[in-house]
Amino acid sequence: VAEKVPVFGPLMRRGVVGLSERGDKWVTQSADQFKALLAAVAVGLVALVLDEMDLNALVRERVDIDVLAADLDIDAVINRVDLITLADKVIEGVDLPAIIRESTNSMTAEVMTDVRTQGERADDVVAGIVDRMLGRDRDNR
Amino acid sequence: VTSSEPDVERAAGIITRGLAAVIDLVVVLLIMSALYGGLVLVRLVYSPAAFSVPSLNAVFSTVVTFFVAVLYLTGCWTVSGSTAGAVTMGLRVVGRRSQRVSLLVGLLRAICCVLLPIGLLWVVVDRRRRSLQDIVFRTRVIYLKRAR
Repeated sequence: VAEKVPVFGPLMRRGVVGLSERGDKWVTQSADQFKALLAAVAVGLVALVLDEMDLNALVRERVDIDVLAADLDIDAVINRVDLITLADKVIEGVDLPAIIRESTNSMTAEVMTDVRTQGERADDVVAGIVDRMLGRDRDNR
Repeated sequence: VTSSEPDVERAAGIITRGLAAVIDLVVVLLIMSALYGGLVLVRLVYSPAAFSVPSLNAVFSTVVTFFVAVLYLTGCWTVSGSTAGAVTMGLRVVGRRSQRVSLLVGLLRAICCVLLPIGLLWVVVDRRRRSLQDIVFRTRVIYLKRAR
């Protein structure tokens, strides 16, 4: 009604439009600020909650890992891995020559010890037989 | 009796010594064949056209074999006391008191062993397990101490 008053009307209309614009601006600005504040609070809250919880224990308690593992498509994972490169890397890490050398060495040593022990025993057996044949006192050697 | 007394140097018997002698014989024969092969190769290099596999002169090869064997035995005994066969069977030749055989004794013992290998058999009947060569040169053949 007041806008219809001459002279005064246009002025008032302009004032009202300015005010409403300012109001809109203020509302959107404060809403943004409020949103940001809320987000910050929420993030802090979640972090706090997570800090308080033992997630591992929770997962162990609530999640059936076996079922998940059963569903895993391991073939797809394996297909994505370059197995040959991986095997090469593994073989590089294992000192195969050293292992072979070691086992061969210990085997040779074992055989040598065995041969020597057996030979010594055979010597004793022969000596015993000869001593008996000659009627020797076997302790007197 | 013969129960093991680890710290005492025990004289070796006929079986180990006999086997060691056989191994040494094989080693000497291998050396001989290597020498023969080398001779053939040298001939081939110097006269490839007129090459024929050299025939073996019995006397010559016997003499060479004798020298190779004596050299091999003397060297092994004086340097380490053990030939290849002795190492395999865990034996060692030592002097009467010292742990090494002197060069002269080693040489003479080697000659006698090559000429009269049958002397080894005396080990069987000798109380102290000496071969004829051991008696003459006052050497002993003992077991290597076991690395235990």
